[in-house]
Amino acid sequence: MSAPTTSPGPDPVEAPAAPAAGRTAVVPVDAPSRAARAAVSVRRDGPRGAPATRGLAARRPAAAAAYVGALAFAALAVSNPIQVAAVLALVLTVLALCGRLRASLPYARVALAVGLFLAVLNPLFSGGGLDVLWTADLGPLSVTVTTQSLVYGVVTAMRLTAVILAFALFTVALDPDDQLGLMSAVSFRSGLVLSLASRLFPVLSRDAARIADAQRSRGVELDRGTRRQRVAARVPLLRSLLTRSLERAVDVAAAMEARGYGGARRSRWVHRRPWWAADMALAAGAAAAALALLAGLVTGHAAYDFFPLIDDPWVQLLDMWWLVLVVALVLPVGTALGGSRR
Amino acid sequence: MTAIARFEQVTYTYPGAQRPALHDVSLNIEPAEVILVLGGSGSGKSTLLRALNGLVPHFYGGTFAGRVTVDEFDTRTARPHDLARRVGLVFQDPEDQAVMTTVEREIAFGLENLGVDSDAITRLVEEALISLGLSRLRHAPLAELSGGELQKVALAGVIATQPHLLLLDEPTSQLDPVSSEELLAAVRRLSEDTGATIVLAEHRVERCLHLATRVLYMEDGAVAIDAPPQEFAAWALHGHRELLPPVARLFAGRLNGRAEAHARSGHLPLTVKDARHMLDALDAEKPTRRANDEAVAEAHASATADEIVLETERLTVGYDGETPLLEDVVLRLRRGELVAFMGENGVGKSTLVRHFNGLLTPRRGRVTLLGRDVAGLSVAEAARSCALLGQNPGDYFVRDTVAEEIDYTLAQLGLDGARRNALAARIIAELDLAGLLDRDPRSLSGGERTRVALAAVTCGDPPVIVLDEPTRGMDPAHKLALTATLRRWAAAGRCVVVVTHDVEFAARCASRVVVLGDGGVLADGTTADVLNGALFFSTQVNRLLRHALPGILYEDEVVWGVSLQ
Repeated sequence: MSAPTTSPGPDPVEAPAAPAAGRTAVVPVDAPSRAARAAVSVRRDGPRGAPATRGLAARRPAAAAAYVGALAFAALAVSNPIQVAAVLALVLTVLALCGRLRASLPYARVALAVGLFLAVLNPLFSGGGLDVLWTADLGPLSVTVTTQSLVYGVVTAMRLTAVILAFALFTVALDPDDQLGLMSAVSFRSGLVLSLASRLFPVLSRDAARIADAQRSRGVELDRGTRRQRVAARVPLLRSLLTRSLERAVDVAAAMEARGYGGARRSRWVHRRPWWAADMALAAGAAAAALALLAGLVTGHAAYDFFPLIDDPWVQLLDMWWLVLVVALVLPVGTALGGSRR
Repeated sequence: MTAIARFEQVTYTYPGAQRPALHDVSLNIEPAEVILVLGGSGSGKSTLLRALNGLVPHFYGGTFAGRVTVDEFDTRTARPHDLARRVGLVFQDPEDQAVMTTVEREIAFGLENLGVDSDAITRLVEEALISLGLSRLRHAPLAELSGGELQKVALAGVIATQPHLLLLDEPTSQLDPVSSEELLAAVRRLSEDTGATIVLAEHRVERCLHLATRVLYMEDGAVAIDAPPQEFAAWALHGHRELLPPVARLFAGRLNGRAEAHARSGHLPLTVKDARHMLDALDAEKPTRRANDEAVAEAHASATADEIVLETERLTVGYDGETPLLEDVVLRLRRGELVAFMGENGVGKSTLVRHFNGLLTPRRGRVTLLGRDVAGLSVAEAARSCALLGQNPGDYFVRDTVAEEIDYTLAQLGLDGARRNALAARIIAELDLAGLLDRDPRSLSGGERTRVALAAVTCGDPPVIVLDEPTRGMDPAHKLALTATLRRWAAAGRCVVVVTHDVEFAARCASRVVVLGDGGVLADGTTADVLNGALFFSTQVNRLLRHALPGILYEDEVVWGVSLQ
């Protein structure tokens, strides 16, 4: 954080640096931790005595990332409504098996909001399609709603939701440190920033809630009045929060330096987690799915099509590339994500 | 013996500071020593530790004179990361030193920085997990750990690197006493099992003094005394008696003028066990109950008025989707009472008092404040009658100066004119803040910050004042001052509630103790009744004298039957 500041001898020297930050405390002390409660719960439930990681978090990060990538690829590459629905259902199933369905809710809300917007607007503004259901002349605007535009709107919404949830799966179902490990292979510093951000964001959020409660407790009305009054009442809190964040940043930087960061060449702890059969099944499934998708793209059966033309959606379900894709993505779900570490 | 570390006439000033944080410090640290560093807030304890791992001056800048050497390294040229293999530092706030997101990765972080190979990291992480009892949490996200667990992870991350010198900078100051005990026990095991050289800055003298082989007391950046514990105890008898454990103060009363001589020869006990041996060895001379002592009477005075200011009716508290922490709690708090809420960690003490001003909504039952249902009030409205000071004074500071903080609260409470000025003047006098009015509250020492935050929530003169763990991280002198203030407020007719694990503080301060546990109120009575004879929730003096003098809680309640002189 600062330049070297020592003197070669006993005479004092001045050196530029930030002042020592004031120390503040942010530790919840009057509640057993969620982790401890989880550990106790596991101990009661089984003999392992540790809060086991589930689903993708228990798998080798590379295998898990490859599988999630294959799911996202599939969501983008298929156009058939039934196929899109099947991929979405699979993503949701994997989230559920990983126990992260609730954690993905914020992402699902965004996906559904945008998807619904598209599903509603598309039939109104895109009158393409063969089977006209309804027409209306609204002054300068002529609206034609067709079966195809309705279906397309719904398919677009499903596809968007599947893609967003596939990325959410990567974020919420993989161990953050595993994500960091994967990213470290490319850039350690970027990975470290990601890790620090994921760790400190909940801390910042707790700080904000605590500061707001402290202000309420001294008579500051934060929750009543007009929107403008409420915003004005919260402005001083931002300053306090910013100060706290800067203090934390300085302290974390000092702790990192004290623990040797920035010194000799770093090593990388390759997690002792071995390649279990389940990891191999997951990686093999991801590879097979990627090959099936590539085959579908090359043969023209699988392609991202803005306005797909589909005669009979059920017929495509018998395509060989699709069958291989389904087997490749579904088989590991039972074997690799069923909760067993091995 | 070759010193592990050496200070030679070190004087250091932080950038922009007027006075040095370390002043002409010279000392040696020998292998396997456990050095306890004591001193008030801002006395230079943390700076001393940071000078040992090179953060001072490399990270903080400033003006540095003299020399610190660790092994063969001179910290003027060796940077902190060069020293990381030799010196490990655990900081005060566990939230501010973690980098990774899960326990085992966090422990591995330091080892990775030092370039240790992967197989060795696996082994060292495992050993660190086992040694601190963290194995079951190895995969746990740090965000889900309690403060105590997080601080243990920090300690594990440091000991995994096997440093020659382990520095602990008030590692328990942000923790509740139970977590603190666990952490200090881990440090003691480390010292006993590995012979590690440890430098520990701490406030909890009664828990650490007997662990130390040597004590440093710092004042204004200088080392006031550097001596073995018994010699330090003798020194503390003159002007720093509050630094001694309660049992040492008890026996100091017996020794009178010969205290220093006895202390030097090992006659001042530092633990209850030592004190019991000494007491048993005495023949005729025994402690007796002090009669008609005003201080004792004042401390144990019950409420003089019957007016109920806060009442809970079958109150059930807890978080949605979880088993209630407390059920059907019935409490009546009166003017003039000073009530201590005690109980095991996580039992729901803090959660309970957060219902008193409406910060939390009851799952069942209700809270009545001055006859009004708190559910019908906003927190800001309830604050006029019930002030609540949380565990982090810094959360209250949103203005530039102490004077503005007080004025801001009074403005929020809708007070103006002469009444506002009178209330401001009163709280400034009550909490001795006149010399701090123009200071930025964030720049103050720990004890001063607590006083300012207390002023910010109580300046409107509310009849109910609630303080959540007010003594956490507080040095003994500030603790005594806070005790006096709270007793004054209760005597003036306010109802004061303190949530605390600090039994010695509760014994000196409270007129009534409520022990929470097993989902409800386990005990509720006068301080003497509740704390007398308890195993855990009892004072050192009570544990020593519970059979001979039941009901005695601290040394001021005792006189010695026969003087040695």
